[in-house]
Formats: sequence, structure tokens, C-alpha cells
Amino acid sequence: MSKRYALYPGCLASTEQYAYELSVREVSSFFNIELVNLDDFSCCGEPIKSINQLLTLYLSARNISIAEKSNLDVYAPCAMCHLALSEAAFILDSDNDLRCRVNKVLSSEGLEYHYKHKSRILHTVDVLYDDIGLEKLKNSVRKPLTGLKVAAHYGCHLIRPSEIGRPDNPENPSKIESIIQVTGAEPVYYPERLDCCGAPLLPTRQESALTKTGEKLQALHEGAVDVLVDVCPWCHKMFDEQQVKAKETVAGGFNIPVLYLTQLVGLALGLKHDRLGLDLNQSPVEKVISKVK
Amino acid sequence: MPRIGVFICHCGVNIAQNVNVEEVKRYAERLKDVVVSRDYKYLCSNTGCGIIKEAIKEYKLDGVVVAACSPRMHEHTFQRVAEESGLNKYKVEVANIREQCSWVHSSRDEATSKAKTLVRMAVAKARLAEDLKPARIKITREALVIGGGVAGIQSALDLANEGFKVHLVEREPSIGGRMAQLDKTFPTLDCASCILTPKMMEAANHPNIDLLVYSEVESVKGSVGDYTVRVKKKPRYVDPGKCTGCGDCASACRLKNKVKNEFDLGLGRRGAVYVPFPQAVPLKYVIDDKTCLYLTKGRCGDEPLCMKACKQGAIDFKQKEEIVDLRVGVIIVATGYDLIDKVGLYELGYGRSPDVITTLEFERLINSSGPTRGEVLRPSNNEKPGSITFILCAGSRDKRLCEWCCRVGCMTALKQVYLIREKLGDTVEVNVCYTDIRSYGKGYEEFYRRIRGVDNVNMFRGRPSEVRVKPDGLIVNVFDTLSDKLFEIKTDLVVLVPAIVPSTGTLDAARTLRLSRSNDGFLMEAHPKLRPMDSFLSGVFIAGCCQGPKDIQDTVAHASGAASRAAWILSSDTLEALPYTAVVNEDLCSGCKTCLLVCPYQAIETVMKDNKLRARVNSTLCQGCGCCVVACPAKAIYQLGFKDEQIKPMITGLKEE
Amino acid sequence: MTVTDLTSMASPQITLKRELDERLLRIKVEALEYCYQCGKCTSGCEAHRLLELEPHRVALLLSRGLFDELINSDIIWTCMSCFKCRERCPQMVAPVELLYALKNIAVAKGKQIPGRYTPMLQSIISTGLIQGEQQVLTRKQQTVKREDLGLPSLQKPRDISRFQSAIMQIATDKI
Repeated sequence: MSKRYALYPGCLASTEQYAYELSVREVSSFFNIELVNLDDFSCCGEPIKSINQLLTLYLSARNISIAEKSNLDVYAPCAMCHLALSEAAFILDSDNDLRCRVNKVLSSEGLEYHYKHKSRILHTVDVLYDDIGLEKLKNSVRKPLTGLKVAAHYGCHLIRPSEIGRPDNPENPSKIESIIQVTGAEPVYYPERLDCCGAPLLPTRQESALTKTGEKLQALHEGAVDVLVDVCPWCHKMFDEQQVKAKETVAGGFNIPVLYLTQLVGLALGLKHDRLGLDLNQSPVEKVISKVK
Repeated sequence: MPRIGVFICHCGVNIAQNVNVEEVKRYAERLKDVVVSRDYKYLCSNTGCGIIKEAIKEYKLDGVVVAACSPRMHEHTFQRVAEESGLNKYKVEVANIREQCSWVHSSRDEATSKAKTLVRMAVAKARLAEDLKPARIKITREALVIGGGVAGIQSALDLANEGFKVHLVEREPSIGGRMAQLDKTFPTLDCASCILTPKMMEAANHPNIDLLVYSEVESVKGSVGDYTVRVKKKPRYVDPGKCTGCGDCASACRLKNKVKNEFDLGLGRRGAVYVPFPQAVPLKYVIDDKTCLYLTKGRCGDEPLCMKACKQGAIDFKQKEEIVDLRVGVIIVATGYDLIDKVGLYELGYGRSPDVITTLEFERLINSSGPTRGEVLRPSNNEKPGSITFILCAGSRDKRLCEWCCRVGCMTALKQVYLIREKLGDTVEVNVCYTDIRSYGKGYEEFYRRIRGVDNVNMFRGRPSEVRVKPDGLIVNVFDTLSDKLFEIKTDLVVLVPAIVPSTGTLDAARTLRLSRSNDGFLMEAHPKLRPMDSFLSGVFIAGCCQGPKDIQDTVAHASGAASRAAWILSSDTLEALPYTAVVNEDLCSGCKTCLLVCPYQAIETVMKDNKLRARVNSTLCQGCGCCVVACPAKAIYQLGFKDEQIKPMITGLKEE
Repeated sequence: MTVTDLTSMASPQITLKRELDERLLRIKVEALEYCYQCGKCTSGCEAHRLLELEPHRVALLLSRGLFDELINSDIIWTCMSCFKCRERCPQMVAPVELLYALKNIAVAKGKQIPGRYTPMLQSIISTGLIQGEQQVLTRKQQTVKREDLGLPSLQKPRDISRFQSAIMQIATDKI
């Protein structure tokens, strides 16, 4: 039962957050999932939605069309890309006129967005929870992460706005905790669970973005959590790469390991650390690795 | 050969001003089959009616056309005149030359010409009018009231006091409903139990009221005047004839204080044998067959302790459910409301923290006969709350959840603020997050002012987005749009004013009786302004919150109204059915059941005739809307008084000149 | 026009309002007139505490047709796109989408684009991605790129000039 997806890592994962792409590829290959490179993808457009939303719609539609042309589902591990693609599909499916206008321009690139696109648009949570499934995940665990207290950061774009269809429930999401549980670790719930990481403010208000990151990390630190997992390269960039700056901004006292969910799952599967990109994380991940025997 | 008389009214100047009545009269005279044509200033007057009566006799008329005002005004008058003259009243045809002619045209020529056309069309129909004899329905002069809350009790008492026998069916072991759960009522701050209990006692002791508690309506067949109702009496395992309500069984019960009490919304405890609350009516114990050890496991220790304790020997584990069949003439549905399901309130903390409760739960806590004897303590740690925050419109006025306003929420919150100040002292900080304060009723605005005057109460005009549950308390952030400031409230107890939805009993009644429901799910009234207590089914009335959320005074008014509507039917021996019913030509009917699906009144059933399925219209249920006539693909249904053969000449009559 | 806001002496901008209404209709978002100013969006706004953005006020000003006040301000650029307002609004109005519209309108009117959006946009136009392949530092203080990590080459538009002319075409259109 081998699956094939077109891997759409998005700009940030493919040019900077390499650990995500690495761990995604590693975990996928473990489960015999083939990730195809369709070498024509572009930015999803979400980072410049504030400049021109129609351009964003076009770019996302373009990416969906590329995958559809190759008859493949799109696996977008970045939550921001996943939202962009899902929202573009939602809007273009409901407005004939807009779809025609977009298709007219797409045709100049030899592409077409089909009404109710056949390609599914998947995120890491969809792949792990639905396509692979908890049962299979559980049975594949070689190194149970017993005793590890793991907090999940869902982020905003993964679960909202629910009316266009998102991978998990907007007020009470639970899929990541379920996945954490089957790795043998202990999922930790905390009051700030649904707070934003602050990343969208990076272009205009860096300090405010870092304040948001810092406040959330501070709340976690106070809750005695071993590791924070996330499912989006933007969120990860804030919590992992920018953790030190965030700490300075809010004068915090935290030093929390931050892993991609795929890295955590990879650890439980017994996969090689360098293949999971663990030496690229800036946060103190050695604290976690030492706990995994 | 038909003999038709045409009578044209001047209606003072209402018609005569724009229509040349004299000309129309002369025109009518010349129409085929018209033997006499008269005009008069006011045909509806005694003299006018007299003219018609005389003409009927003198000219031996067998059809009458009255060209006057709208039939809604005087059709019944002229029908009575015809009847008194020995003519079938459905041989009268009214042509509206006032509202539909004189009042809407300014050109005298146009109006007169149109009046002539209208008369001509009416004559065309009158030529083919048939004698109609509407059926007479024999009324069973008993009523069924479903639901024993304040609405059901009020309706039952009203009908019983008028001399009718009433069967009051309630699914809980006691009547009283939601009002019995309340502490005080707004705006007078009357104690709810104190004003309700006398009514409950009256209903229980009334010679005309047959109280069927712990019972449910299983099925209803028949139509107005003659319903057959099957009621299932659930076994209570206690003989009500022997039970004195002493409570010895409950004190002895092995599961005493172990089962969550429904009346207290899970905040209180009872045993397996219980009464729902101390003032229950009837005060007879009941054993819960889902928790009782003897009933679920087959044994309760060495012997059931309740049996041992009961000096009257009233415990009877062999009791079986009982079926009671009733025949009634009218049904009043008074099944009440529920609060919105907790899933809709998740972001406000309900279900996430035990310290987030609803107003109804708060009412049980602050009630001195409630589970905590009136002490309001934080459910999480049983400590006194230093701060209580109300969040209004939780789930209400929300397109994603309940679009409607719950009507009673604002006043309930204000009342509870008062109760806090009165019973818990001055030190408890009270915060109220509202969107609008709807204090519309009598005395309500005055009450609102009174609460604004209460000390240490912060009113925030804003709706919180979420309630954050921290280990040491709850945090509510609310943006106060009046001051343009974001406030962070650190609070101990959050009380949500939840949206009000139809109860499961209401949904069950809708299904059993096949009642229509509005968009919001509540039972639909026949007309929102003029017939708020009537359902679309004749003989079935709706009372109280099952029709829509309302406060107690509106509920009581509604219930009395429903009783009055029901009494109108019950006070006659027979009821005249509508004459204009649909009839199925069974030879043409193919049994496709299209008519069944479109009938809004469920008046069509299927019968087997010559081994084939045919439709048949129940003429007592049929309201003459004509939907089936139009829908039938085989044109097998016609409507009495409005047959195609009667309508077509009217249409062709338009062209004639 | 007989309606004037005396603090700004502005009148409702009808044409812009109509454009906004149409845009909201196309992206399947509820009309903003349904807002009854409950303030739930602002109560939960992730950007409010730090940056004082008031989403409910944005909806209110726009329902009065007062665009300039918002377009000329910095506040519209503070939205964190967390979508909590859209998720929780009881009338299904979406202030986040109103803000996207306002930002788009501001750019179209030639207002200066704040922060680092311009380089991202330029990079998309020239390469298809918001930035080029970055060198990152490992924990062992080595600098690596995709190749060093064994990752396949970067996915990006093959025919960049065809891509560019397509996005130039769409970028001048309106929703």
C-alpha cells in the first residue's frame, strides 16, 4: 500500500527550515510514502496576501493545478501554505467568474484549476493521523518516548477558519495530542494552547512578533513542559530559531526544546537524528535526545 | 336552468363613487340565467339583507351573487341570509367590487367596466355552484395537555375550571417543570416555588384533572374532536396508592447521595429511590431503573433496604409499564425548553472548567432548597468565590449556533446579580459582560435601574471571545465598547447565560403529532401575530416555551390563550368541518402518493381498494388549501366549491363582452 | 451626500464600499453590515493587546463608508491573521478579511508598503519564491545548504518568464 504525494514544502521550509523537509521526507519514507518533486511549484502567495489577494489566489491555484496535472495529491507540510491552498480552492469553487478569470491567465502557463479539484490538499496532521493512522504509528514505535512531557502548538492557520475545512477542530483540536500519545509521550494541555506564535507580524513589527512568541514560551516554561512540538515552519522559526531573541524581548526565563512533530515522531520510530535534521534546531534539543533511550 | 339573483351594493360612496352601480345593475340583468338584479346602499344592513331574502323567495332563486366589499367582511352575512331563506349557503358568490375595484381605480369608466367583468365572472361560477354539506365532527369533550410545567399546568387548570376533563401528561416524576427549578422570578423577586406550588397542588387535586406523571405520549391518531392517544406510564416501582411520601426509603437506600440529581442539573445527589425535589407533586417516590441495584443487577445486598424501611409496603419491584388509551377532542402541547448543548460553549470554558456554569445551574446553587442550601461555592474547590462574572448571549444571537435572542437572558442575569448581593453579601465582586440589555417588559426597565444602583457591580458592554482556565482561576478578557478599553477580569466563577433551544420533549411531540417547526426548531404557530397558540393542525394548540422562549408571564398568558382556543372547540357538541375539502376520484388515482407529500396538514391517507393503493382525503383534517389538487399528476383530485369546471368559466368569462 | 463625519470632515466613500461588498461576496464572507458591535473580535484579537488593533471598529468605520481614516493609518498592518475573529464572530463577519481588503486598497492607491513585504514580492516575481536558498548554521557551527543535507534541488517555476507575465496579468486585476 504505497502512497504518492506531490511534496509542496513552500518557500520557508525549502529555503530555510530544512529540518522540516528532512524530517518529513524521513518519516514518509519509513512508511513507504513516495514524495514526488514537481519542479514547477512557486510560493503559495499567503505571505503577500496583504499586498494583493488576487495574486495569492492565483499562485495557490497554480500550485494546485500543477499537482492535479500530474494526478497527485498535494502534501503541504506548512500550515500557512495549507491554508492558502485550501482557501483558494474554497473561493474558486464557489465563484464561477473568478475561477474563469484565474483560469484564463493559468492557461497562458498551460495550466487549469478544475472545479472541485481532484487533488486532496494534505497537511502533516492529515498524513500522520488519517493516511498513516494512529494504529500503524503506534505499532511502528521502536523507542517509546515514555515520561516525556510534550506540549502541542497547533498554530492558527492549521485550525482556522473552520468554515473552509481545516484538518482539526478550531476550539478543541486533539489530533496532535493523539499522535503524541501513541509515541509513548505524555501530551500536556495548557491554557495558552490556542495562542498565535506571532510570525505574521515579522514583516512589519518584529518586536511585537517576538513578544507573542516569548509570552507563549514563558507560559510553557511555567508549566514545566519538556518539549514543544509544532507543525508549521513559521511557528517553528519563531519558537526555535528566534527563542533567544524572544526571551530577551519579554525578559523571560525559558529554555525549551522545540521540535517539529515529524522530528518527535521520527525519534519514536528510532530514525537517525541527523536525517531528522535535529542538528539544525537552535533550541536545546539535546535535552530531549538525552531522554530518549 | 339556474335562476340567479345579482345584488349590487353602493357601500355608501365607497363603491358608488367610482363605479356606476346603476349601469352594472342593468348589465347584470341582461346576463344569461340572471332573473333579477337589484342594488342598494348598504346590502349588509337589515334592509339590504331583507331585499335579498325577498328576491330569493319571489324569484325562486337557486343562486345568489353579491357584488360588494371583500368576502372577508360579509360573506358569512350573506351566507346566513341565504340559509335563512332556505338556500344552501354555499350557493352565494361574492364579487369584490370594493377593495379590488372601486378602491384601486380612479377612472370611473375603468372601474365600472371592471365591476361588470367581476360580476360576469361571479355569475359564471354561481351557475355551477353546488349544494355543499360540510361534515359535522362529534367532539369528545376532554383535553390532553402534554407537559406539566407552568404552561401545561395553567392550560390544564383553565380548561378544568371551565368544566372539561383534562389529562395532564408529564414525563418527569413530578410536575413543575423549569419554573420549579428557579429561585426568585424577575422583576418582582417572587419566590418561584411559592407562587407555583399552589398551582401545582390545585392541578393535582382538581376533580377534572387526571394527572399522569412519569408518563409519555406514545402515539396520537385521529383528528380534531376525536383523537386517540396512547400514553405509556413508566413503572415507578412504588405503589402511589400506598406511598405517603415519608422518605424512609430514600434515607435507607444503599445508593443514597451517590446518583447525580437531574433536578439539580447534576450538582446535587440523590439515591436510586427518590423524589425529584421536596415540593414534588405528587409527593410519591420513584425508583430509577438505570441505577437501582436491584433492578440493574438483580440484587441489592441481602435485601433491598428501601423495602425493609417502608412501613406502608409501597415498594413494588414487580410493577410493569402501563398503557393508557385516551380519547380527547383537543391537544395542547406545552413541552418547554432546554439549554444549548455544552459543545457550543466550549470556548467559554463550559466543559473545560467546573467553575464555568450556566444560569440555571447557578439558580440551583443559590436556591436555599438547592443542593448546597443556598451557598454558592466554586465547584472546583468548594470555596467562596470572591468574584463572579456573567457572560450574556452565550450561544444566542449567533448565526453559527442559535440565531435568536433568548428573551429572558438579560433579566435573568440582572436578577441573579441581585440575588448575589442579597445572599452573598457586599464583598463579592460582580462583573456583567453584555451586548444589549433587553429589559422590555412591565417593570423590567425599573428593575434594570435598580441593579445599576447595586454596589460593586461592573457592567461591561462587550462580548468575551474566550474564557482562559488557569490553575488558580479564570481569566476573561472583554473589550468594553463604551469606554473603548480592554479589561482583563480575573474571576473565580463564570456564569454563562446560555441560548435556549427546544426541549427533547418538544422534538418528540413534533414527531408524534407531526407538527411543523420554525427555522429555530421551536413549534410553529399558525400565524405569528394573530394565532400564536394555534398549530397548523386544527385541534392541536401550543403553549409556552415550546413555541419560543419567553418569560413566565408570557408563558402563562400564552397557556391561558391556548386553553381558551381549545375550549372553543370543546364547548360545542359538534364542529362543522370546512366544506371546501379536497376529494379524490379513486378511479383515477394511481396511488403515487404525491398528494400525501405536499399536504401541509397530513390530511391524506392511503387505503387499499380493489387491491390497489389509493389516496383518500380526511375531510375533517383537510383545510382546503388546494395543494394536492395542483400536485396530482393524474388530475384525480378536485376541490369542492372550486372544481376546474367551476373555475374555467370564470376565466373564459373574462374575455366575453 | 448629506452625511459628514465632523471629526474628519469625510463623507462615505460609496464606490469603494461597493467594491468592498463585491469582494466580500466573491470570497464568500458575510456582509459587514450584519455586525452588531458586540466586540467579541476585539476581546479575543491576538494583535489588540500589543498593537491596539480594534477589529470591531474597522467593521464599524467601513459600514459608514469611512475608508481613508483606515487606509492612511498604520493600524491596518498590525493584523496577525490569526483568524480568531472570523472563527468566533456571531454574525460571521470577518474583520481579518476586511483588513486584507484595506491593505490591498492602500497598496493599490500607492500608499507606502510598510516593512519587508516589498522584497518578498520582488523575489516572488523574479524567482517564484519569497527568498533565495539560505545558508543555515548547524548546532556544530557548520554552515549548510540543501545540497549538503542531501535534499533534492529547490522546487521553483521552470519557465520563469512565462510565470512572470502571468502574474503581471493577474496583479493588475481586482477581485
